[in-house]
Amino acid sequence: MKRLLIALFCILTLPVFANEPAATTAEATDQEAFNPGEMILHHIGDSHEWHFATLGNAEHGTHVTIPLPVIAYQPAKGLSVFSSSKLAHGQAYNGLKLEHEHLMAEDGSKVYDFSITKNTASLILSAVLLLLVFTAVASGYKKNHGKAPKGVQSFFEPIILFIRDEVAKKSIGPKYERYMPYLLTVFFFIWFNNLLGLMPGAANLTGNIAVTFTLAVLTLIITLASSNKYYWAHIFATPGVPKALLPIMIPVELIGIVVKPFSLMVRLFANITAGHIVILSFISLIFIFKSAALAPVSLAFGLFINVLELLVAILQAYIFTLLTAMYIGGAVETHHDADLQMGGGNGVEPAHAH
Amino acid sequence: MPADAPPPPKSNDSDRLRSFAKYSGLGFQMLAIIGLCTWGGLKLDAYFQNKNPWYTIGLMVFGLLAATYQIIRAVSRNE
Repeated sequence: MKRLLIALFCILTLPVFANEPAATTAEATDQEAFNPGEMILHHIGDSHEWHFATLGNAEHGTHVTIPLPVIAYQPAKGLSVFSSSKLAHGQAYNGLKLEHEHLMAEDGSKVYDFSITKNTASLILSAVLLLLVFTAVASGYKKNHGKAPKGVQSFFEPIILFIRDEVAKKSIGPKYERYMPYLLTVFFFIWFNNLLGLMPGAANLTGNIAVTFTLAVLTLIITLASSNKYYWAHIFATPGVPKALLPIMIPVELIGIVVKPFSLMVRLFANITAGHIVILSFISLIFIFKSAALAPVSLAFGLFINVLELLVAILQAYIFTLLTAMYIGGAVETHHDADLQMGGGNGVEPAHAH
Repeated sequence: MPADAPPPPKSNDSDRLRSFAKYSGLGFQMLAIIGLCTWGGLKLDAYFQNKNPWYTIGLMVFGLLAATYQIIRAVSRNE
């Protein structure tokens, strides 16, 4: 079982590359009536309305949607706020129209789009959910102080302790406490949103590069803000490196700073998006082949990937949190006994290049 | 969750998960360094309208070296 999990883990951390062709094959087998590529991109992308289903024909059927507020700012005209239902079916309203989910002015002038889109709405929903759940947990700790946890609190306690003991303490060391709020927030935010994203009709929030970008930038800022002199000494005067090599080493080290959060951003985005694309591709097969005979196979695979995504949801949250903790740990560590076995020993100031 | 579940094998398991996460993270990091450098090189070549893509080649090699260095540094740090 353990081996199986580890093997699964290896596969799951790099599924993007294997998965991407699946989407393109779906796109390649394009048909006039049903375009899976378009359907998939529509599902994983953001939109100005929350679309759940279309009953009946695509053109004449009823669309089950929740219109969301459009908030647009134009330097010339000022702010305009209206419902996105006014822009449905390509209509123009107030000189604004939607082109491929892009808010544009009819006269081509600049529009700043601050709309509550599907992703923003989903973000607000999940924030409310997280607040509700964790105020319940926190009040549980107040009420049952010194006693066994109860209810929702007893479900989350092992997870919180796992993050504290296995992630924060081991990666950051004695100063772990002040990073716990961020680590727990990031973990539960990603986990909850990954799971919410798997629900039918839900938004693909953690598969949105802007969201993962924000999380990665937060990690970068926290890492840099908590860095100590050893961290910077390592970058600008790497121990054991001759002075003549420093012009090469400094850019290499500086790239390392940026690339670590960058890889966090890409990994979360790619894993979640790839999962959605694979599930949708399997479901699309039924419509591509227009045959019910294919449905059992396609549904079975779709269900399998969907269940796998439940695991990926917590795994990706864990990896993001763990790597964040490791990057912070690298920035706050003071002892330097592990300097590639080249620098100064324990307690010695960082060795100078010689 | 009983508190007296056998702790040593459990922490061993999580250490394994931890190192798997760490090393798979390194792979991604390598990819990101080379990718970013190559992308930057392509942009520079397009900007200067070079006949030969020297920036792309140079930055790609640089990215490769940087990625290798980062990997060596990360794995030789004993935690």
